[in-house]
Amino acid sequence: MIRLQGVTKRYPNGLLALNDVSFSMAEGEFVFLIGPTGAGKSTLLRLLYRADVASRGKVSVAGRDITRLPARQMPALRRSMGVVFQDFKLLPRKTAYENVAFAMQVTGTPPEEIRPRAMQALEVVGLADRADALPWQLSGGEQQRISIARAIVHQPPLLLADEPTGNLDPRTSWEIVQLLSRINLRGTTVLVATHNKLIVDILRQRVVELAAGTVVRDEDYGLYASHA
Amino acid sequence: MPEQRRRRSPLGVLSAALAYAGGEALAAFRRNGLMSAAAVTTIMVTLLPVGGAVALAANLRLMTTILERQVQVVAYLRDGISPQERDRLSAQVRALPGVRRVEFVGRDQALVRLQDALGERVSLRDVIETNPLPDSLEVALVNPREARPVADAVRQIGGVEDVAFGAQAVDRLLAVTGLLRTGGVAAGLLLGGVALIIIMNTIRLTIIGRRQEIEIMQLVGASPWYVRSPFMLEGVLQGLVATALAALVLIPGYILLLARARDVVPFLPLVHAPDLLPTLVVSLGLGGMLVGMSGSLLALRRFLHT
Repeated sequence: MIRLQGVTKRYPNGLLALNDVSFSMAEGEFVFLIGPTGAGKSTLLRLLYRADVASRGKVSVAGRDITRLPARQMPALRRSMGVVFQDFKLLPRKTAYENVAFAMQVTGTPPEEIRPRAMQALEVVGLADRADALPWQLSGGEQQRISIARAIVHQPPLLLADEPTGNLDPRTSWEIVQLLSRINLRGTTVLVATHNKLIVDILRQRVVELAAGTVVRDEDYGLYASHA
Repeated sequence: MPEQRRRRSPLGVLSAALAYAGGEALAAFRRNGLMSAAAVTTIMVTLLPVGGAVALAANLRLMTTILERQVQVVAYLRDGISPQERDRLSAQVRALPGVRRVEFVGRDQALVRLQDALGERVSLRDVIETNPLPDSLEVALVNPREARPVADAVRQIGGVEDVAFGAQAVDRLLAVTGLLRTGGVAAGLLLGGVALIIIMNTIRLTIIGRRQEIEIMQLVGASPWYVRSPFMLEGVLQGLVATALAALVLIPGYILLLARARDVVPFLPLVHAPDLLPTLVVSLGLGGMLVGMSGSLLALRRFLHT
């Protein structure tokens, strides 16, 4: 599903965010991308949803090389994945339902399909009954679940999450990770960048650890801290 | 979850897209009330001087055209010329390039005109016994700038004794009207340019205020035109509303000024309100729409780099 080959990313200001990173993810996998702040986790995700372009190396998603993707094909790439952020990125003046429906409206979904699909996505995240609430009327965890509903409404084969629990308390964080895990069990490939030790250690999934822009560990059923 | 591919008719997609864009533009107009009001007011305030300049330029053009039309070459004919010869001369002059119209003015008619021009205080009959004026041909020109060559050509024709065209006066007049024209165009361009910059900047502000929305649109895979269209429509809408408001000021303003000017300087040729205002409002409306739309597009360019 995802393959990075010798990827280096140097920002214009000279910062070396990723240094010769290679790693791949099979379809249906669940991977935690861990490491301290500044290790390059966000940059790696940004390369995957093409908010940034690798300086060197090759990035492919679903068998397609996206390193040199023409601008015309960007929308198709974005529709083939859902992205979730630490700060939810919900539109404050739209209700929960409208935020989810928005993702379909702006991608030209026929109007008669929007409502059933948006409601279905809200059901998956367990918030169908809060469809008419505005973001500020929802708790942080609920807001994150709305943003996850928005991310999966296109039924993408890939879900990327950048610190999805960064703004949440431990209990809510756990709920969010369980939700991501459930979505993974339905067949979606899930990549979660996090430095939340607790959820990594409980879930025991594959762990890829970045430090200063390089992969220092890649372990199945891993813990946040290495055994050594 | 396998991605489901649905087949849709292009027409269905288009109509859905249009409905979406229209709905979003209207909703944005309502939701961002204050921002929209600010943009509309700014566009309106900048359109006012532009409209005023256009109205002024139209009037200047009418005045200069009328003044220039009064430039004519007068050919004084030899005394005692026969009607046949006079017709022949007249035809000859009419055939010259640059001549719009030739009118024969008999010496008696010329005297009547002179008397009219002098008014009632002076009676020519008391001063002179015989009519000293010659027959003449009044030659109207296609272009007042050609007064000199036409006069030279007329002078060559036999039977023409003298030619007058007020050389110095014509030169001065042309200099003044030329200045007025270029000045009007320059002022219009300058004001238009300033209006363009102000309007685009205002629209940019409303778009920057909504960059979060644009970011999310791009994130979920909206095509660039889907991102642009609501903003473009919103720009068009702002331009239209602003023009309507500007028209509410410009139309009565012009009519009022016109009435005032007619009282103060009745001889001044002015453009009648029905001749000017519909064209003015329509072109301002088109301009406002165009500026609103292109302003949105330009402002969006920064966010659509992807």
